[in-house]
Amino acid sequence: MARQHPTADVALEPDPVVEAYKKDIDRTLLRENLKLTPDERLRKLQDFVTFIHGLRRATRRP
Amino acid sequence: MTDFARLLRVLAGSGAEFALIGGVAAAVHGAARATYDVDVVYSRTPENIARLVSALAPLEPYLRGAPRGLPFTWDTATVAAGLNFTLTTTAGDLDLLGEVILGGTYEDLLSDTELVQVFGIECRCLSLERLIAVKRAAGRPKDLDAIAELEAIAEERRR
Repeated sequence: MARQHPTADVALEPDPVVEAYKKDIDRTLLRENLKLTPDERLRKLQDFVTFIHGLRRATRRP
Repeated sequence: MTDFARLLRVLAGSGAEFALIGGVAAAVHGAARATYDVDVVYSRTPENIARLVSALAPLEPYLRGAPRGLPFTWDTATVAAGLNFTLTTTAGDLDLLGEVILGGTYEDLLSDTELVQVFGIECRCLSLERLIAVKRAAGRPKDLDAIAELEAIAEERRR
């Protein structure tokens, strides 16, 4: 018999704590991302991570 | 620095059964939050472990944060004897999960994955709804921001 996992049929009822966090989400960023394809989203993530990496290297003490 | 394209191409190119979860899966669904590693849930069949071990070997996987020189050998026996591995590789950090907390195995999650095209390859990614459910079930305070963002994405999709 297949095992049942707690998240398999989870009904996502609103969680008051999550709702509180949701107020701080910048939805303009999300709306822009949702206009992109998954591939474009990951390339954007890669660009950001590369930028941060470069910034960290540049600010590292010699 | 994590090279997402390289890691995903190596994994997908091996023919291994895996699915994206965690921060990269969130990014696939539209999350703006940055992540610096790749999290995947993988099938624990001996054949799949062999594929993963062989494909990742050139990237020199090692236990993340562990001092060099430990008797850690990247081979099928090691992976078969373990379950979840937090690794560092020459292409960046990789979490290989044999089982997700309260989410189950790759096979348990498979029906809630979708095929996505990224970096010129096709791979499986956990659905937005299941990703939210798994993160909620894990109950980690550090995930609250991420859950809120994922739920906001779900709401935006329904608009």
